[in-house]
Amino acid sequence: MAYHPSKRHPIRRLARFPIGFLLPAVLVLAAIVLFPTLYLLWLSVRHWIVFQPQQYFTGLGNFIALFRSSAFWESLRVTGSYLLLTSLLSFAFGLGLAISLSKAIFARGVVRALIILPLLVPPVVAGFAWKFLLNREIGLVGGYLFPALGITVSLLAHPTLALVSIVIADIWSKTSFMFLILLAALQSIPVELYEAARIDGAGARQEFLYITLPLLVPAIIIGLIFRAIDAINTFDLIFVMTQGGPGTATQTLSIFGWKTAFTYFDLGRGAAIAVVMMVLAVITTLFLTKRLQR
Amino acid sequence: MRRHPTGKTLGRLLVGGYIVIYLIFVLFPILWLLLGSLKSRYESLLMPPRIIFEPTFLAYEKLLFGGLLHTFGNSITIALINVLLALVFGVPAAYALSRMRGSVRKNVSFWILSIRMAPAFGVVLPIFVFMRSLNLLDTITAVIIAHLTINLPLAIWLLLGYFDELPQDIEDAALIDGANHLQVLWRVLLPVSRPMLIAVALLVFVFSWNEFLFAFILTSSEAQTVPALIASLAGTMNFDWPLMSAISVSALLPAFLVVFFAQRHITEGLTLGAVR
Repeated sequence: MAYHPSKRHPIRRLARFPIGFLLPAVLVLAAIVLFPTLYLLWLSVRHWIVFQPQQYFTGLGNFIALFRSSAFWESLRVTGSYLLLTSLLSFAFGLGLAISLSKAIFARGVVRALIILPLLVPPVVAGFAWKFLLNREIGLVGGYLFPALGITVSLLAHPTLALVSIVIADIWSKTSFMFLILLAALQSIPVELYEAARIDGAGARQEFLYITLPLLVPAIIIGLIFRAIDAINTFDLIFVMTQGGPGTATQTLSIFGWKTAFTYFDLGRGAAIAVVMMVLAVITTLFLTKRLQR
Repeated sequence: MRRHPTGKTLGRLLVGGYIVIYLIFVLFPILWLLLGSLKSRYESLLMPPRIIFEPTFLAYEKLLFGGLLHTFGNSITIALINVLLALVFGVPAAYALSRMRGSVRKNVSFWILSIRMAPAFGVVLPIFVFMRSLNLLDTITAVIIAHLTINLPLAIWLLLGYFDELPQDIEDAALIDGANHLQVLWRVLLPVSRPMLIAVALLVFVFSWNEFLFAFILTSSEAQTVPALIASLAGTMNFDWPLMSAISVSALLPAFLVVFFAQRHITEGLTLGAVR
């Protein structure tokens, strides 16, 4: 492995880097990530249903079958709505929190810790906690508060409301992520800019629109893309709350893929779904790194 | 120039009100879980739900003596071994990458970043097939390996960023004096990197502890982890709400400990290195 000495530190030319430092990690990652990824591509062009003896090459058969099935387009649509709702709302709430917390407020450290807390909570627990609240029979919100207000529908059994419910739980779980990214970006804006603007007679609204917001744009883009990829991959929270139901109303691509591969045992088709998800993630990643390099 | 005083007070009220409402939104589900875990099964089914009741520890007793405790053992073992492996493989790799320039560094770090973006479902499917043919399904080995696919790239990425920021003068001095890279890493770099090492260890632990999809697909009973247990109970028809709440509350402990004792260290890691 070539080691290029940096110009700033001519001394390092003396010391060649032992390949043994990097190699173990690269080999481990090759074995547990690269090889499985290649195997996934191989799986996606195979007809293979577990417990059925015949296995054969089917070319793009799995993908064609996928693109012809309405369940796939339906889950793509659900993934899209889920992705849009949860990333935009967690952005809006996160921005509000970041702006509030960038000012001196009472007990800022504790408040910050409490806002971060959900990000560390297992998503399975977050999903269960919301299911527990929203349940029609025994939930405080779904079984008592809403019926008292005259809303007697079962939240998690109603197609639209079930999607809204998992979005709420997801916002609960992930807004802190947006908050942290935006807070760091806010705190890196030089105070001098605001002072100069104030001397020029700018008001709070102008400061926000012409200083804060433009300088936040890179952080907003990064945050939104991370959240979008995260939303494409979300499985745990949805699984615990609805398992994709009622019907297929909350069946995102990852739930659809899991069902295909692990309840219908169609590994080939499941792999094809995973490849589609991977393509979506790669497109987003390329977009992200382009932005970062700018 | 003075701002309009009433406008300022109004702004403060809005900010304060927003934070209070958000904190209630965050804390209430957790508080309700805690209350739920202290109820008897009968009490948990009452409508309207009781807020004041005589607490019982029946659910926690069931958790301790009901044959469920091995899931906690599994979760802790998997998480600790992941911390160990992520650091053992990650620290030297991050050090080497951070002192390299040019295409190797660029390509390897891009590859590592893209692993983090890969859909977990796409990773677990082939791993499931491998583990099945190796007869490793329902073993903690399978889950440890699966978690490492996320944890090792995370550790390398965070440590790389940290090592990049460290001043290199002391290292250079040590190298001139004839120290080799291993000695420099061990004697010079690691002592000053303690906060970051702690942060990486905590994040890897919490990730493993919280992770569901891999554990759920690769295990069934023997090697089941806590999140997989919660989900499998949540999927049954015969709900034992207090027991599930008690397990959930116990599963929350690492989150609480980390957020209140190590919040400062983990912010960068929580944003996956997006904030630097």
